[in-house]
Amino acid sequence: MNAPFFKFGAFGDETSLLVAFVIGIGFGWFLERAGFGSAKKLVSQFYLNDLAVFKVMFTAIVTAMLGIFYLGWLGVLDLNLLYLSDTNLWPQIVGGLVLGVGFVVGGYCPGTSMVAIATGKIDALFFVGGVMFGVLAIGEAFPLVRGFYESGNLGRLTLPDVFHLSYGGVVFLVTLMALAGFAGAGWVERRFGGAAKEV
Amino acid sequence: MQARWHIHWTMERALAVGAFALGALAMAGQPVRGHVVTIDTQELATLVESNVDHVLPADLADSIIRGASDYRLIDLRDEAAFAKYHIPTAENVPIAQLTDSSLARNEKIILYSDGGIHAAQAWMLLRAQGYKGVTTLVGGLDGWKDNVVFPIVPTTLTPAQASEFARALQVAQFFGGHGRTATAAGEAASLTIAAPAAPKVQVSGPAAGKGGPVAKKKKKEGC
Amino acid sequence: MSTIVAPVIPARAAEARAGDRVHAVARVPAEYMNPYLAGIGLGLVLLSAYVVMGRGLGASGALSSLVAWSVNVVAPSHAQANEFYRGYLTSGVGHPLKEWLVFEVLGVMVGGFLSGHLAGRTRRMIERGPNVSVRARFGYAFVGGALMGIGAKLARGCTSGQALSGGAVLNAGSWAFMLMVFAGAYAMAWAVRRQWR
Repeated sequence: MNAPFFKFGAFGDETSLLVAFVIGIGFGWFLERAGFGSAKKLVSQFYLNDLAVFKVMFTAIVTAMLGIFYLGWLGVLDLNLLYLSDTNLWPQIVGGLVLGVGFVVGGYCPGTSMVAIATGKIDALFFVGGVMFGVLAIGEAFPLVRGFYESGNLGRLTLPDVFHLSYGGVVFLVTLMALAGFAGAGWVERRFGGAAKEV
Repeated sequence: MQARWHIHWTMERALAVGAFALGALAMAGQPVRGHVVTIDTQELATLVESNVDHVLPADLADSIIRGASDYRLIDLRDEAAFAKYHIPTAENVPIAQLTDSSLARNEKIILYSDGGIHAAQAWMLLRAQGYKGVTTLVGGLDGWKDNVVFPIVPTTLTPAQASEFARALQVAQFFGGHGRTATAAGEAASLTIAAPAAPKVQVSGPAAGKGGPVAKKKKKEGC
Repeated sequence: MSTIVAPVIPARAAEARAGDRVHAVARVPAEYMNPYLAGIGLGLVLLSAYVVMGRGLGASGALSSLVAWSVNVVAPSHAQANEFYRGYLTSGVGHPLKEWLVFEVLGVMVGGFLSGHLAGRTRRMIERGPNVSVRARFGYAFVGGALMGIGAKLARGCTSGQALSGGAVLNAGSWAFMLMVFAGAYAMAWAVRRQWR
């Protein structure tokens, strides 16, 4: 068991910044390959024309989830050391709704807006400006928001905990659900309009 | 167009079948949760012999006074003993909870218990799990009291010795103790320490007021 | 006698206005990658983050660090007294901007540029539907961004961080968050359709 490498002392903080940069390159590469540097493509998810957002996201989640599970099973990856943020139920629910609204109004999410800026979209600059303004607003209003921000803290909670199923059982169900979703997505796309294959 | 469409679909179908298989297989899985390890006994024996894992109480005292935050000091005793007295900046992690604690493998960890037995055993446990930076405090809490908090000071001092012991006395005072003349071994253990170490002397020290760990820089791993 | 040869201009390039730069690598932008393959690629990148660093990806955190650092430059005492900013100011390898996410996001921009450039999809332009003006689009983008910023801070992450990364490790809060993002977006989509259709 020697992974995650950083937490086993394979390299230090400075090097981890280089690692971050390299991983970021991969991240940005695939986001753009999928077409997520385009607000119109991203937003077509929510008009049911093109469900690439759903397909890419859930394929990525399932891929990583299976990878983590199997590496854990093989004893290569120490699952205890993987970062798991606390569940803060109310702010996450409200934050999710707000974020969803912002997504379809702004046309991007923070990660894709970076890709958009890198490929020349001027509107993405305004979007990022907006994001920073939003962060500033929360920062300034933090003493007021604090109570809500920390409400509903359920600690580190995973789906297996919530549904009283085994880790492997949840992995199977999530995979199944994703596959069903992909089949459904195909049907929806055929029904509501062609996927925008070109830019 | 028709042929290309067919191939496209088949690839996605293959992926779907593969994903389903992996998902189904997962139900049989039992991810190892990190408690079973393999030990390289030769490597450990060599380390033990070389004494690299030792930290002297005097050096620890210096680190605390300097306000260094590049280590984590772990008190392996139970909560009651910890509450009664613990070395400033120490965190209480009873030995049974060590495996599940938040210690990172690339941190410098200093373990101590009353004497040194539990610290040595904990050292072995952590070392076996790949914690490369784990060390033990030589002599444990007893050694801490003997050497730092209640240092032995000769009754008559030459001027050369005076300055050396002056510092030792300052350090002792910093941690709530005082010097003592050479008496029967083991007396230090019975001496009670005045107050939970509070910085009284001008030895520029950290604001380690009440017990508990100095607020360490928490690594942000969120997004 | 010199003949003027009119170059054959592909349809897309004709849309370009003065000031737009059309890259020489590919006049006609390439088709996007199959979403499932792109998803696998993304998933492998995410997996590598977990295997190498023990953490997932992110994006909003980098912008938060930037904001906190900026506030600290302009009004240091105010920033340091504020617990929210302080969290970002005390993080990082010696400097708030030497943060893992900041470097990751810089990488995202490089990776995105590389992919876009090689596919001929890099072009200075404004993404908008046919029925909205540029200024309105900019306004929407800013407002949408602000909502994103607020939502991301409340939820401790955005789609990259919470949804993708938290989703992969089956974090319950992340899944709840993800559901809500889709719900909120779908609920709002009809109201802002003018911007995109």
